[in-house]
Amino acid sequence: MSLPLERLQRWMQSVVVHPGTVEDAVADPSVEADVPKDRVGEVILPSAHLAPLERLEIYHAMYPLRMEEALASDYTALKHFLGDQGFFRLVEGYVQAHPSRSFTLNPLGRHLPEYLAGAHVKKRAFCQDLARLERAIAEVFEDEERPALDEQAIAAVPAEAWEHARLRTIPAFRLLALRYPASAYLDSVNDEAHRHPEVKRQDGWVAVYRRGYAVYRHDLGRAAHDLLTDLVAGRTVGEAVAAAMRRRGRARPQADDLFRWFRQWAAAGMFASVELP
Amino acid sequence: MNRWNLPDLGVGVGLRTVHFAHILREHPAVDWFEVLSENFMQMGGRPMYVLDQVAERYPVALHGVSLSIGSTEPLDEGYLRQLKGLARRTRATWVSDHLCWTGVLGRNTHDLLPMPYTEEALRHVVSRVRQVSDYLERPLVLENPSSYVEFADSTMPEWEFLARMAEDANCALLLDVNNVYVSAFNHSFDPNVYVDALPADRVVQYHLAGHTHRGTHIIDTHSDHAVHPVWELYARSCRRTGNVATLYEWDENIPAFDVLLAEANKARAFRVESGAAARVPAAAAR
Repeated sequence: MSLPLERLQRWMQSVVVHPGTVEDAVADPSVEADVPKDRVGEVILPSAHLAPLERLEIYHAMYPLRMEEALASDYTALKHFLGDQGFFRLVEGYVQAHPSRSFTLNPLGRHLPEYLAGAHVKKRAFCQDLARLERAIAEVFEDEERPALDEQAIAAVPAEAWEHARLRTIPAFRLLALRYPASAYLDSVNDEAHRHPEVKRQDGWVAVYRRGYAVYRHDLGRAAHDLLTDLVAGRTVGEAVAAAMRRRGRARPQADDLFRWFRQWAAAGMFASVELP
Repeated sequence: MNRWNLPDLGVGVGLRTVHFAHILREHPAVDWFEVLSENFMQMGGRPMYVLDQVAERYPVALHGVSLSIGSTEPLDEGYLRQLKGLARRTRATWVSDHLCWTGVLGRNTHDLLPMPYTEEALRHVVSRVRQVSDYLERPLVLENPSSYVEFADSTMPEWEFLARMAEDANCALLLDVNNVYVSAFNHSFDPNVYVDALPADRVVQYHLAGHTHRGTHIIDTHSDHAVHPVWELYARSCRRTGNVATLYEWDENIPAFDVLLAEANKARAFRVESGAAARVPAAAAR
């Protein structure tokens, strides 16, 4: 059975990425449109030891393993929580919905947090938070390196100019509002003792950023998170502070918080520049 | 000497993340590094910083896995643009990839899928190699793949396809002798015939690696020391090509850098000395 190159490649790829067994794959009607299952032997030759389908199975079996390996490197804690089998099942479904369309596997997992919203996994909301946190870490690891605003540059800003100044964060910076203790769980996975926190509803806020080629997490309170969110959105320091002071309860900073936070954030290297009007 | 006078870089190893700290700290005595192109594209963090440091100190060659030269999909212009930029930034001695396809219909399987060895496929690949070489402004270097299936449509053996492709597209070859050994077992051909049939003056680089023997077939896992017959095949080919840049690949169960380097350095014993025939020292064989 002679096949044009385009049809041969379309057929082989359909078999390789098929979620079922290799027997299921060659019998799938969409796959049989290119090569009927009883004619596979006219496309693939047998070897001295293996039949045509057994040879195809080598590629078919390696595909999900390769995807799993790539995703596991970004979602170590999620895999730990779901277990090897649970994570593998998640990956099998995910790569059918979001196959790689890039020349690199780096962005493969970028849709996993959203995909989890409809996935059949235990403690789904916690899994989503954990995935969002691990995704943020993976992204800042790869982001462009930009020097942080230094003390001299900050000191050079006249006091009266701060109200209308805009602080720009470094590219490798993400803010997350979490509903479960995902950050503590990640710590416990990295810790050899694996003393995991109880997975129950517990709001938390965290900044993920990279400095000196190392990724850091900085736990925040609600008020600090909301203030930083406004700054990231491009509001002036004056606008962001005024908005913070109008909030109520945990979302409202104490009077002496602001100066301390800005100093901590600047010292941590979260800001790349200050723009004056 | 190859027809482009591309240099013999000596014996190198692949630049892998697990060795970053060791390499930056120790500046190990390795002749050159091969860099997986895609691992450093769209990367602005520590990997790029490390690569810049390595490229300052050592010769570097780029080795890709997603060019998909055999695919019936159009060439990815964005990919080529980034590849050219990375080659310029690292002053790469050459840019290589594989004779394979990785996906169609906009999808990337991230596998090195085999080509049928037909006249149609040959015309297709030659045309694309010329396009890529023109764009990169240098001869593309293509590696022979390891494979687990053979197509009934094929009308010529792989070595003939490679030789004709190299001639018609005027490209260079990266000869992976482990891949030859793996495919020879999987497809029951004589590996000596394969290496003897390739145009020696187009081979600018060798790959060596370990594999996993499953009894009925061999998988190219890059997970171990190279077996003795692979070293023999390397020595046989070196006698035809002369000394050519050689790279040891180890990608699964990656050992400490010193173990990797010791395995790579075994290659020195097989390289041709002053025109003398290379032989396989028993001490280097496992």
